[in-house]
Amino acid sequence: MRKAKSEKGQMRIIEALLAIFLVFFAIAFVNLFALTPASQTYEAGELEKIGFNVLHDLDDQKLLARFVQYEEWANLTAALTVSLPTDVYFNLTVYDLGGKVVNTASISYGTARVFSSSFVASVTYIVPGYQAGYSPKILVLQLVRG
Amino acid sequence: MGLGIDKKGQFIVIAAMLMSIMIISISAIIYSSVTYFKAERWEEYVILVDSVKTGTTRVVEISLANYTQTLNTTILRDNMDKWSPDVKQAYPGFGVILTYTLPSALTQAYGVSINYALGLARTWYQATSFSAGNTNVSLSLASAGLTGYSFSTSAFLKETILDATYTAKTKMLTIYLSIEREDLIPITNLKKDSFSLRVDGVSKDFSVSRYYSSTFSRFIYEIRRENEPSLPFVVSVTATETRGIRVIANSTVMQV
Repeated sequence: MRKAKSEKGQMRIIEALLAIFLVFFAIAFVNLFALTPASQTYEAGELEKIGFNVLHDLDDQKLLARFVQYEEWANLTAALTVSLPTDVYFNLTVYDLGGKVVNTASISYGTARVFSSSFVASVTYIVPGYQAGYSPKILVLQLVRG
Repeated sequence: MGLGIDKKGQFIVIAAMLMSIMIISISAIIYSSVTYFKAERWEEYVILVDSVKTGTTRVVEISLANYTQTLNTTILRDNMDKWSPDVKQAYPGFGVILTYTLPSALTQAYGVSINYALGLARTWYQATSFSAGNTNVSLSLASAGLTGYSFSTSAFLKETILDATYTAKTKMLTIYLSIEREDLIPITNLKKDSFSLRVDGVSKDFSVSRYYSSTFSRFIYEIRRENEPSLPFVVSVTATETRGIRVIANSTVMQV
């Protein structure tokens, strides 16, 4: 009789452990699909917003159109480097409406390997022209968190 | 009795399993919501709409700048005709459809009467002169199911000659003027090369200073011309701001 009671007690402990394991397994399983700030999906959206805001701010200050119109690629690189967070790498390509690359010099910060190996966010921005001249250019800004 | 105790023990495991199933079921619903949100690319759509709105504002500014420099009255229509397919080309796969209307009527805005023709207007050679451009746009994104998102965009530049005086004793011509843009926001960053002065129709040299005037209760530009031999009849000041938009204001001169 004493032996049977102790066996029942051990079973209760095993059952309780099993129950705890089941609940923890469910929580762990759910966490796999959680969209946290560290996840790539969240990160890409954030980078797209940052990229658009930076281009929009430069456009608002009448700098973006001037840099593109007069092909001031070094100034554009410097402006983007200063405006973006230090741990964000970027690569900007300027196209005309025919799809031809306009920028003769690289407008980037970070090595090419960074953009090939990591998840890349991309923002497209259109600049219609500068002052009295309508001459649209398409800017494609790629961003990666370092 | 022993069988009853065993059944209670199994109930704990069954309860835990039910809890687990509930947690996983809720997570599945949440996950499907997240993936739906992700699949619809809402952030991308918002960025695209903002980008098109900003670009359209720039097109109106560019067109107004061109109009005030060349007096081409159809330039806004021509540029909007190009802008609509250009936006579609810049964002392939989104199904962007941009249509526009240009106002051609008399409207009250920014404290003046603006008589638009093909979305452009100017009233120059007055003490209060202005240049204005306006367009109403409807944007549709087929990929997002967005249709008929309407917005209006405008560009405006106003120059007001507050006072123009001539002091015979010192032969000094002084003009006080203010420059304002949309929503009557004062423009405070113009330099000498943004202005030109004509005295009785003849171009003359001058100096410019800018400051807040307590007399006029606003930010003003003071244009001074020294050694003006006699009292001029009329002065004309042309202002061209950083967007390339131009406005010309005239005023008669009072002797003090």
